[in-house]
Amino acid sequence: MTEELRVAVDRKANGAVLYTKGYINNVGGEEIANRAYELMDDNVRTLLLNLRDTKIVNSIGISILIEIIEKMIDKGGSIAFCCLTPVIHKTFQIMGLANYAKIFENEDTALKELGL
Amino acid sequence: MTSTAERQMELTLPMVADIEIAAARAAGNLARELGMSSEKIDEMTHAIIEACINAREHSGCEDNRIYLRFVGTSQGDGSRIDVWITDHGRGFDPDEARSRRPAVGATHKRGRGLQLIEAHMDEVSISTSSGGGTTIHMVKYEKKNHD
Repeated sequence: MTEELRVAVDRKANGAVLYTKGYINNVGGEEIANRAYELMDDNVRTLLLNLRDTKIVNSIGISILIEIIEKMIDKGGSIAFCCLTPVIHKTFQIMGLANYAKIFENEDTALKELGL
Repeated sequence: MTSTAERQMELTLPMVADIEIAAARAAGNLARELGMSSEKIDEMTHAIIEACINAREHSGCEDNRIYLRFVGTSQGDGSRIDVWITDHGRGFDPDEARSRRPAVGATHKRGRGLQLIEAHMDEVSISTSSGGGTTIHMVKYEKKNHD
């Protein structure tokens, strides 16, 4: 049984939005990391992850998201999330993501706040 | 108070990639039949996912199986689901596992599965012994005030 994660990228003038669809586990987390690192290599320093089509995350996937956040912070950039389900939001708070990444209720607010 | 067991399910699953999703879906379906809210179901399924991942990654069991039992019960003040997840592995020390984890909100890359389970479920108890396997029993209530 596999639950493949799909990632779509929307480049913006001042950054990018990543749209995820599916289960963020170890494989899904690596897929997000690959896309995020490509964007960082292309000098993107503001990244919004829209999780509207992701309903399940696990602790391994979140650990990879934390690595992405750390790498972006090292480069002087920032990562934010939007459109989280209540349980994913709660999980992010427990895992500490909320300390290092902004979380927005919807994409419009996020884009405005982040200047994307 | 009278309570009636309305739904019961037992599963034996192989320890393969993403099998936790099958366990979570089965429990989610049972919870929906009981009329449990989607937010409670999401919390329960995330806990089940973490428990299955812990069994798969850390139990070191030889039979490569996870044994699950779900019991859904309707009560006068709502409903509850009891979940038992068992492996026949090496067991672990829950207190030691808890002592390794950082405070809620502190960023830490791994080792947070048990913390997430306890945060998402209403009751959690663990039976484990060295070489004797582990059973984690978790309960989710539709209503928090279930006295």
